[in-house]
Amino acid sequence: MPEKEVIIIGGGAAGLAAAVACKQKGIEDILIIERGDYLGGILQQCIHDGFGLEKFHTSLAGPEYAQRYIDQVKEKEIPFLLNSMVVNLTPQKEVVVINYKGLQHYRAKVIILAMGCRERTRGAINIPGARASGIYTAGVAQELINLKNYMVGEKIVILGSGDIGLIMARRLSLEGVEVIMVAEKLPYSSGLPRNINQCLYDFDIPLLLSHTVVDIEGNGRLSGVTIAQLGKRGGIIPGSKRKITCDTLLLSVGLIPENELSREAGIVLDNITGGPQVDERGQTSVSGIFTCGNVLQVHDIVDNVSLEAEYIVEGVVEYLEGKLNKEGEINVELGKGLRYVVPQRLNRIKDTIFSFRVNQPGEKEVLVFEDGKKVIKKKFLRRVNPAEMIRVKLSSLELEGIKTLKVKLV
Amino acid sequence: MMEREFVCIICPNGCRIKVEYEGINIKSIKGDECPKGKDYVKNEITNPLRVFTGSVLVGNGDFSLASVKTSVPIPKKYLKKIGEITRQLKVESPIKIGQVLASNLLDNNIDLIATRKIIEKNL
Repeated sequence: MPEKEVIIIGGGAAGLAAAVACKQKGIEDILIIERGDYLGGILQQCIHDGFGLEKFHTSLAGPEYAQRYIDQVKEKEIPFLLNSMVVNLTPQKEVVVINYKGLQHYRAKVIILAMGCRERTRGAINIPGARASGIYTAGVAQELINLKNYMVGEKIVILGSGDIGLIMARRLSLEGVEVIMVAEKLPYSSGLPRNINQCLYDFDIPLLLSHTVVDIEGNGRLSGVTIAQLGKRGGIIPGSKRKITCDTLLLSVGLIPENELSREAGIVLDNITGGPQVDERGQTSVSGIFTCGNVLQVHDIVDNVSLEAEYIVEGVVEYLEGKLNKEGEINVELGKGLRYVVPQRLNRIKDTIFSFRVNQPGEKEVLVFEDGKKVIKKKFLRRVNPAEMIRVKLSSLELEGIKTLKVKLV
Repeated sequence: MMEREFVCIICPNGCRIKVEYEGINIKSIKGDECPKGKDYVKNEITNPLRVFTGSVLVGNGDFSLASVKTSVPIPKKYLKKIGEITRQLKVESPIKIGQVLASNLLDNNIDLIATRKIIEKNL
């Protein structure tokens, strides 16, 4: 069985950045395993710009951002497999890959999980009605339009105001297709405010908050959807149902980290993020298996995916050098106002970046880290939004000597 | 006097910027966290600018579409017209990132540049 130092599962934004960082830190024997037929993952279909502002201080389209990393992977001669799917992962860090050559087995000292996420579908949100064609997740529509040159429809309703849905509303408008509306179940959008501005308002596309699709009609092709307004407790407001004639429904209703392999390897997952529970450098509950990017937690900005990948590689290097010694275990406790925190535990006291999402939009909140009654750090947040991940760095000096760690909004 | 709140689209911070203005004369700007925010609202009030992004058909490439953007932000009112033009265009591989695929569109110095590298298809 061929043995590698590091095997990276997934050749998207996270996997590429992790590979480049590993090589820069002197790790020689790396293998990237990618399921698709090109590197770059979802970035290749995100042809809008706005990527790279933090990492490269310029606004790039997705394929441009990906290419910067692909060029480095090729320059540094980092080996990669395309059209190759990892079908099995064990806690002993053995992987089974399937591709056109058949089954191949590898073993690695370190595995980096960088499989990204997939979209929630109609089945996941249980929309009743006809099983007509013309229902796509927003990302699939994006792939068809931007990579395969296939237009998905002519009159479109988008359910869910996630960023991909908003981006697709603009994209479809620019391709001359009518986007009738975006309906959002929640009383606030789950997309970034700037995307609502430049993707909907620029094209006079209405955003209907507290609205959802309650029925789908169509014999063969979709012919219409019924939308309804939702009350404060989420029930349908009587008399608010109305039928919208359309031929296509796009769903932008959330992303699920793709962790089937992690589960198989016995890695403990976080019920809220859907990703592995990790320590201060992205190590999962299985020693030597690290993770970064959307498979760990769904990000809103790719620059943060790249930065996270570079950051966890610090842990990978220490692990390979035998210097990653667990000093203890402090579980990061979640207090009021927050939906999740990553990392979920600290095994060592090091400078650590914590990522959070809040439960609901708010203004003038204070984020507090505390050890029992002692406040370790406070951060004022002018406004908070579940659509925007919050990242806060605590230095080893601030964390020194703590017995417990709790984070909350006050 | 008009008062309006803008959400800046220049970066992911998405600053809420409050502006008081009359016609195209700005009286006050509040809430911007960087100078780009000021420029953004000035443009929004006088001549809103956006980068167009889209795709054009490619012959004989490893990808069938080249993604493109305008080399600079263009007046918002031209976005849909540029979209119509990109639907008619076809270019041949290979294509480099940054390569100009169409120039002086709408007689307005609008250039389309490639944002995807495309190599010739292996036949």
